[in-house]
Amino acid sequence: MRSVLILAVFFALLIVFGAALAPHDPNALNIPKRLSPPSTEFLLGTDALGRDVLSRLLHGARWSLGLAFVVSLISLAIGTCAGLIAAQGGKIADWVMMRVTDTFLAFPELVAAVVIAGLLGAGTWSLIFALSLTGWMRFARVARGTGLSVKTRGYVVQAQLAGMPAWSIARWHYLPALLPSLTVVWTGAFARAILGISALGFLGFGVQPPNPEWGSMLLDARVHMRSTPLLMIWPGLVVVTCVLAINLSGDALRDAIAKDA
Amino acid sequence: MSKTLFGLLLRTLVVLAGTAFLTFALLWNAPGDPAAAIAMARFDALLSQEVIDQVREEVGLNTSFWPAFWSWLGPLLCFDFGNSAVTGRPVWPDLWGAMTYTFPLAFAGLMIGLGVALPLAIFAAKRPGRLSDRIAVAIASLGAAIPAYWLGLLLILLFAVQLGWLPAMGARTPAHAILPALTLGLGVAASLTRIIRSGILEARGQAFLPAIQRRGVPEAAIGRDHIAPHAAIPVITVFGLELAFLLEGAVLVEVIFGRPGLGTFLVSAIAARDFPQVQAVVLLTALVFVVSNLIIDLLYRLIDPRIGERDA
Repeated sequence: MRSVLILAVFFALLIVFGAALAPHDPNALNIPKRLSPPSTEFLLGTDALGRDVLSRLLHGARWSLGLAFVVSLISLAIGTCAGLIAAQGGKIADWVMMRVTDTFLAFPELVAAVVIAGLLGAGTWSLIFALSLTGWMRFARVARGTGLSVKTRGYVVQAQLAGMPAWSIARWHYLPALLPSLTVVWTGAFARAILGISALGFLGFGVQPPNPEWGSMLLDARVHMRSTPLLMIWPGLVVVTCVLAINLSGDALRDAIAKDA
Repeated sequence: MSKTLFGLLLRTLVVLAGTAFLTFALLWNAPGDPAAAIAMARFDALLSQEVIDQVREEVGLNTSFWPAFWSWLGPLLCFDFGNSAVTGRPVWPDLWGAMTYTFPLAFAGLMIGLGVALPLAIFAAKRPGRLSDRIAVAIASLGAAIPAYWLGLLLILLFAVQLGWLPAMGARTPAHAILPALTLGLGVAASLTRIIRSGILEARGQAFLPAIQRRGVPEAAIGRDHIAPHAAIPVITVFGLELAFLLEGAVLVEVIFGRPGLGTFLVSAIAARDFPQVQAVVLLTALVFVVSNLIIDLLYRLIDPRIGERDA
């Protein structure tokens, strides 16, 4: 639990203060010093337009991590609502809700996200929309599964008999019970959102230049693979580190919950 | 049994209808004027409103939602995906051509994934918690965190640019397929390793194993007849999800390596707003996913009869 907390705080600080730590303006052009190797002035070198790679990576956290955070929270909200409706709403609502979930699950996440983002026109809002719309289904399944087991517990039945409205039962009885498992699913969704955002950026459908997003930085670096391979290494390394850290803390969280239960 | 089978088929049909509706509704409601985009792609020039209106009528974009949906759905049931809005040619032959590149790639990726994951998982599960296990799990975790497009670029950098052993771009020779298949396969291997490993470990913990061991059944036979079928159930479960991963992985990998296939087909169709083509690709990937999951559901009941009973 503690490792998860430390990690969450670290990422939050990176999103909020990462840009302030950047030594240079991420969009400042410096053509004479383009594609220069790491030096004391440019710690990780410069890109094809002479922009400082380190500054772009730090500013990019706001795009890549910040957007992924937003996407994972929206998915959490949609999925939890859908799952609770299925769990609380009776047989027909359950069947309908789960078929809707199955239908959305049938589209490979990234293919659907590419199509949606591509058709809406590349941009930040269509990116958020596309990834949230393709990312909520796991939350729905887990929320429904756990919700069904909560449904038969004594205090829930009593609350129902006492005439407590459905939404406040959901708020006060279901949500606290759902929280641990939803948090585990959320770490996975956060990691996948980071991968999705950078993949769309890499395909050119995501965050648009000159904004420094890690996937689109890779796309720019790809052309200069022969002359400056390092340029391609940094953004990928940052993505892998973030995703790995989030996945591992998700695993730790799951184990901790399993031990409690 | 027959009742649950009926439920399963009904469910699949509902999901298929849902995917068709969703695909159509999504494209229908996309912002921007599709007729203008199609006209643009066809004639490659800025056009007058008259030409755009003419295109709109020709492609059938001038009706309202429901008539357009039904006239699209009817032929679709006979596997007729209509004609490309840009070239006017039928979508199906071009789509089939793209699939002949993508499906072998996905299959090769799956085989590489299994070939790496199976030995690694068995090796890891031999002594759980020990150093060998931890290293194998660490490799798998790292593999799961590496995005396919970056892995592809790294492989190009190493094998094509630095060592010069393999070609990177295009699809002219079989050698061109090695790096793409490897990119896809290593991604699959990462997730499969963890699942197979925990599947084996769970099977080992079953109460019937000590009983069989004490009867003197040889270790090899226990592994083959008792542990393997048990461990297969979770593996089959994620196989359906892996298929989705393979398809979307193949899409990315094709774009990275400049291979023709569903991925490049889709990206260029989106750029040209060729609705029939985009619809066909999206629907086809969904179809593959739904049908393979149906097969997996049926397979479960074959391997583990308890599952069918539990449903009923």
